[in-house]
Amino acid sequence: MSAFRQPSVLPGFGLTLGFATFFLSAIVLLPLAALVLKTASMSWADFVAVVSSPRALASYRLSFGASLVAALINTVFGFIVAWTLVRYEFPGRKVLDAMIDMPFALPTAVSGIALTAVFAQNGWIGQYLEPWGIKVAYTWLGVTLALTLIGLPFVVRSVQPSLLEVQRDLEDAAETLGATPIYIFRRIIFPTVLPALASGFTLAFARAVGEYGSVIFIAGNLPMKTEITPLLIVIKLEEFDYNGAAALGFVMLAMSFLMLLSINLVQAWGRRHIVAARR
Amino acid sequence: MVGIAATGAAEIARRPGRGTLRSALVRWVFIALSLGFLAAVLLAPLAAVFATALGQGIGAYLDSFKDPDTGSAIRLTLLTAVIVVPLNTIFGISAAWAIAKFEFRGKTFLITLIDLPFAVSPIISGLVYVLLFGAQGWFGIWLQEHNIDVIFALPGIVLATLFVTFPYVARELIPLMEQLGNDEEEAAITLGASGLMTFVRVTLPKIRWGLIYGVILCNARAMGEFGAVSVVSGHIRGLTTTMPLHIEILYNEYAFVGAFAVASLLTLLAVVTLIVKSVIEWQASRTTGH
Amino acid sequence: MSITLDQVTKQYQGNPVVNDVSLAVAEGEFFVLLGPSGSGKSTLLRAIAGLTEVDHGRITLFGRDVTQVSAREREVGFVFQNYALFRHMTVGENIEFALRVRREKAAERVRRRKELLELIGLADMDDRLPIQLSGGQQQRVAVARALAHKPKVLLLDEPFGALDAKIREELRRTIRSVQRELGITTILVTHDQEEAFALGDRLGVMNLGRLLEAGRPTDLYSRPATRFVATFLGAANLLLRREARLGPEAAGQSRREQEVVAMLRPEEAELAPDRDALTTGFLGYGHVEEMQFTGALERLRVRMGTEAAERHADASATAMSPVWIDVTRTQPEQRAFPLAPGQLVAVGTRRIHVLPTPLSSFTVCAESREAAERLMSNHWLTDLAARMQTRLSAQVEPQLASEIPAPGPAPAGVAVVAAGPDCPAKVRRLLGRGVTPILCLPEDAEPPGRVVVHFAGQVARRATLAMTASLLRHVPAEAVFLGILPSGSPERTRTAGVRQLLDVRSEAQAGHGLDVRTELRLGDRIEELLRELGSQPGQMLVLGLPEAGSLPENFEALLTQSPGWPVLLA
Repeated sequence: MSAFRQPSVLPGFGLTLGFATFFLSAIVLLPLAALVLKTASMSWADFVAVVSSPRALASYRLSFGASLVAALINTVFGFIVAWTLVRYEFPGRKVLDAMIDMPFALPTAVSGIALTAVFAQNGWIGQYLEPWGIKVAYTWLGVTLALTLIGLPFVVRSVQPSLLEVQRDLEDAAETLGATPIYIFRRIIFPTVLPALASGFTLAFARAVGEYGSVIFIAGNLPMKTEITPLLIVIKLEEFDYNGAAALGFVMLAMSFLMLLSINLVQAWGRRHIVAARR
Repeated sequence: MVGIAATGAAEIARRPGRGTLRSALVRWVFIALSLGFLAAVLLAPLAAVFATALGQGIGAYLDSFKDPDTGSAIRLTLLTAVIVVPLNTIFGISAAWAIAKFEFRGKTFLITLIDLPFAVSPIISGLVYVLLFGAQGWFGIWLQEHNIDVIFALPGIVLATLFVTFPYVARELIPLMEQLGNDEEEAAITLGASGLMTFVRVTLPKIRWGLIYGVILCNARAMGEFGAVSVVSGHIRGLTTTMPLHIEILYNEYAFVGAFAVASLLTLLAVVTLIVKSVIEWQASRTTGH
Repeated sequence: MSITLDQVTKQYQGNPVVNDVSLAVAEGEFFVLLGPSGSGKSTLLRAIAGLTEVDHGRITLFGRDVTQVSAREREVGFVFQNYALFRHMTVGENIEFALRVRREKAAERVRRRKELLELIGLADMDDRLPIQLSGGQQQRVAVARALAHKPKVLLLDEPFGALDAKIREELRRTIRSVQRELGITTILVTHDQEEAFALGDRLGVMNLGRLLEAGRPTDLYSRPATRFVATFLGAANLLLRREARLGPEAAGQSRREQEVVAMLRPEEAELAPDRDALTTGFLGYGHVEEMQFTGALERLRVRMGTEAAERHADASATAMSPVWIDVTRTQPEQRAFPLAPGQLVAVGTRRIHVLPTPLSSFTVCAESREAAERLMSNHWLTDLAARMQTRLSAQVEPQLASEIPAPGPAPAGVAVVAAGPDCPAKVRRLLGRGVTPILCLPEDAEPPGRVVVHFAGQVARRATLAMTASLLRHVPAEAVFLGILPSGSPERTRTAGVRQLLDVRSEAQAGHGLDVRTELRLGDRIEELLRELGSQPGQMLVLGLPEAGSLPENFEALLTQSPGWPVLLA
């Protein structure tokens, strides 16, 4: 028996793993390799010129800046929402709980036009913000808002199970020992939830950086101002500048890998952290 | 699980000294903040979709579906989903079986690779296929010589959608199958069942709720994908526009009722998806007793 | 025989989980495999069912070699610890599964289902889902499901593990009566000795992947061969005592005493106010330290040999008392002699069973206190002593390596000396005083993964076998009997050599219930051994010397090699 896999009495290992690997290679890995190869065929100077052009730099600032802000908003409000859903009983809780997944299921184009309609100057909410001089649609605020919407479920769904997991007997023990609610939160609940919060933050951030559909409707798409990096790639493609698109795509792909890595690290850290906390 | 937590919360709320003004205040502030936040970013946009779609009356709403381009967009979207969802379902089941039932080297790496499309921008998912099959792409010339259209045609849309919805079924099944363990399968084998029979009679019924949810979520994403499809479709009206792309076209032409009418269909799909999910969770908790 | 295992071995990542297990279960027999968690009993059961592949050995069911046969074709019924019922099928569908798989006719399926439901006493539960049943009922269904296809063998993997005590007992009765009624050969795995006694026609006790002993429950309980079985099957006090050496070996020498390990069951101990009041053999005086009332029985812990007790003690007491002895007393005994904590009592023994193990305790022999302490703290040694639950003591003899006659008694049990250049001299000296066995221990010895056994002459054959058996019961290592013939031996000698090895194997099997593999080499004895031991780290040598009481010149190389390996000399 090869050391590659531990023996098992169940059949079908070769067949299923073979098909899964083949399909994965054909649909995901080969195309991604094409992007890397395309970029590799460019000269270094060309590559640098494309990825560090002022317009590209401005788009990175917006994409990453707005994503960061959105992920932070989601971390705060996501925790509040998760806490409310787990700890309080109120009418409509179950419906609300189910609705958290809406951004997963709702097409991004739909959330894009819907958010624009609500936050435009004459929209339901936009009209009340207008007198205060707050413009949401067609500004970086709108971009942030769209990215907040799509990142929300990541934080809530990460935090919920860990809030359920906070050992009630620990809280009870702390209470019988005379701890105040704030102290219990700071010393018992928060440390347990922290890894999940960090993981939710990273997931929301990663998702926001690549988002396209919901942003382009509300962003206004002014070069240098409200143009996100994915949009810049689309513009390059429409100009048949494949090299430029590939170069920018490569930068984003590299960022994705970095974030995937950090998500794994954060989750590994979380597992260790929880194990350590339980000892 | 949530149900248990809620009873626990109710139990805590009834403890001595908990009926204070302060804890009630904290409770209401939390609920109000949650509701307010969700109302602004989630409920209002959803309501806006239907409000705008029906803004000029039910007649105008229904009329917008008579547009032949809208009809062909709906047909193209359905066709794409019909091709993509079964393929990704087969993939998901295969990958979950291999990963959850066996221990082998490189398993964690394989899971990371399956997650890859989650982390990649949809624009890049489209871009890679343009680079492969586009006019200047690796296979572009060969495809042109043989008169095969991939980019700006159905195959490209299908490929991009496959990429984007790739992990959904697998991600739903892997943790579920790992959690359910191998005992029942081993029991079936000792009772004389073949591999296929074990899968059909024992494994499949066990995972059916998770599988259904994975499939409908995959379907919702497949029908609603915008970015990746937008890159490969070419936006040829009535030919290569899926529903989300059609929404964009109508919206940019200020045909708001039409745009939001199509959007309302996709919103309904999302709502149905979530309802099915809730039903499944309820079913699952009922049959497994958790 | 309906189930025969022949040297079955299973390794996980190089560690043997099931180690050379051979066993035969008779037709219709209820055999219980007993052992602590991690002893390999479940793995062995899964191997019999075909759920786990074996690395070595053969499994035969009713004369058919099934080692390579898949689980679905072995025709066994397997009951899992956590039931493993198909949760989406009703009780009836679960039971019918094996019949449906075999495409039995509907009428036959219904008939069989009714019959089985009747058998397990759940006749009206046909349409329930498993989740609607209690744990005990679920396990009954699992048993019925495993019996549906009329398997020839029923295998139960800790079937009562997840149930509470009362239901457990009830289910135990059900399984026993079902087994009797059907006369089906059954193997049950458990870690609960009470369960094993209640169910088994025969028991097999496993530890560290080895089947230590197998036999009828009463035999194993009253006459265990190993410390592990003695202590695992109920409470036992293990005592070290000196006894006159028996047998022809001792005939030529001056009457010499030998240390043995004796087992005293708590219920075989007698307590009395005074030595003279005892009706049984006197063991010593002690103080009652702890008393526990447990219903029918009273449990006591008596601390032996305390100062006050010493005053009463008699120099002729033969036992070397341990620190304390556990005693249980029945109600009549309690009434006859009421006790209070702190009270001084005389302890007597109704029945003592001497374990046939040559490795009783370890005595480190060194020329200086530092050297002795170094050896005493050797991980290899402390580990083994802890596993054997035995004493580890030191004896400092400055003239150990010299020819000057030593005063004082010979070391008790196994004498341990440090390996090294002066090791052969020390060994010779100890051998000259009639000391065996001797363990030569290198400072940095690794825990053995493999034990090489070799005896150079027939004199040491029995002793070597006994030592090997005793050692292997306490270390998770594989073992091989190495036979070595001079190169260029004629064909006839070789055949004889092979036969001799097979004899040894069957002797080990019959005398010690121990199964080892055998290998025959051609070449120089010492060279072959050196090559074998040098081939990989983590090995040790059990060596039978060609003559009693002397170490030949050419054997020295085996003790002085560096880096070396532990050598146990007989």
